[in-house]
This record gives sequence, structure tokens and C-alpha cells, in this order.
Amino acid sequence: RYVRQLQRLQLLFSPTAADARGARQFVEEAAQDFARQHPDVVLYVSPHSGPGPAPVLRAEYLNGTVRDELIASKTSEEIVQLATKLANQSGLDIIRIRKPFHTDNPSVQGQWHPLTNKPSILTVQGPRLQPK
Amino acid sequence: MVVLSAARWVRSRLSDRFWRVQEVLKYARHFRGRKNRCYKLAVRSVRRAFVKSTKARREKKRFLRALWITRIEAASLEHGLKYPAFISNLAKSQVELNRKVLADLAIYEPKTFKSLAALAQRRRQEGFLAALGDGKEPEGIFSRIVHHH
Repeated sequence: RYVRQLQRLQLLFSPTAADARGARQFVEEAAQDFARQHPDVVLYVSPHSGPGPAPVLRAEYLNGTVRDELIASKTSEEIVQLATKLANQSGLDIIRIRKPFHTDNPSVQGQWHPLTNKPSILTVQGPRLQPK
Repeated sequence: MVVLSAARWVRSRLSDRFWRVQEVLKYARHFRGRKNRCYKLAVRSVRRAFVKSTKARREKKRFLRALWITRIEAASLEHGLKYPAFISNLAKSQVELNRKVLADLAIYEPKTFKSLAALAQRRRQEGFLAALGDGKEPEGIFSRIVHHH
């Protein structure tokens, strides 16, 4: 079954800052609907009073990655879209994947080494080979 | 950016020059010499690096195909077949494996590759018999073609 990789979403903003207006509107209108639609994500709303750092949406994933997204001067709808995008992601780092495939056992018959196709006289040692 | 009137706009100074410079320098950190530190030199080097990496995507395909061909040639020579004979006879026996897969088989599944080389060799012999024998002998078993309709 599908296990959502997003553990918790923390909404850190200040109730008086001007650029946190979208965050405040999101908390008033859309936060409850978002929380109901995603029951396995915990939504924390932590307003810090006074002038502080920029309003940020912090996403923590099951593998420990913490991702901060700036929500300064964003409308409520944009924050909803951002939150759904974070909810659908897994916590893996967003870098270029070199190969779209991976195996732990690449070789079934034994990987080639310079002595695979040579006669076994070269590898076998033992008293059987000595002439009696 | 705050919207100021024109008179005030002229007097406002750039405040995030550091981050604009860092955006370029972060791609130059692994370069050699002063171009990993000095912005003026780094701009030119980073732009050339991006252009080269874009153009190299077409070369990469050619390079990898040549690498696969080298590996298949080495592996088939171990089994006594040359590369053109191997590839052509494999194609005549309707084995539609591409060079990437053949190279991977040669590395990781040597017994499978040995059997593929034996198949190509057998098909080669049947081809010679068909060309030189001319007539009464029946057609070779591995020369039969399967038609998918």
C-alpha cells in the first residue's frame, strides 16, 4: 500500500510581517481542507511574533531530509499548490540520476574475468596433475 | 523589489550582488586555476562549460556505441569470431539484440555470450554451405526465418 513519504509540514511565519499575508490567508482558509485531504501528514502552524526570518514552509520526510520553501509574497493558492507538490514528493535529493536502473546482483552466471574463457589447466592446481 | 518613483530608482544601489555572483561561481568551483575564484574569468569558463556539455550529448551516443563495439569485438575474438561475422550472422538468425545489451551480456553473462557466439558460428557455416554447396543439400536448421504476421 502507498505510504506517504512526507512526515510533517511546519508553517513558520510571523503574524505581523507584510510578506506573510499569503501564509496567514492559507492558515485561515485552506489549511483545514489541506489537512483533511492529506490525513497522514501532520501540519504544524507556528507563528513567531515580531520581526523574524522570512516565512517558510518546512517539509520533513521519512528518510530525514528537511526541505524549506520560501512562501514570502505568495498567494494562498500558490501555497496550496506548493504544499501538494511537497506532499507528493519523496525525501530523496533532487539531483540528476545517472542511470534509471540499479541492481544489487548484476551477474547471474559470474562476472567475466580474464580467466573465464581460458582452459582450466591454468587455474586448477593439485596432486592429480602430477604424473604418477 | 520595491517599486520606487523614477527619481528615487536612479539612486538605489544593488544589494544582492553577492548572490548573483555566487550563482555563477557555484558551477565553477571544481575548475582549475583562477577561474574557480574570479568572477570575470569564471563567467567565460562556465558559459563554455555549459555549451560544451550541451554539444557533447550528441557525441556521447557515438562514443558509447564505439565502446560497446570494442567490447563485443574483444569478447567474440575470445570465442574465435570476428566482430563483422558475429554481428551479421546474429542478424541473419533474427536475434535482434542491440550492441548495448550484447556488451552487457559479454561482461556479466559470459556463458550466454558463448552460446550466442556458437549460434553465430553455426549460422555462418550454414551460410557457407548454402553458398558453395548449391543445390541438393537441405537448407540449414538455423537459417530458417520465422515470419511474424
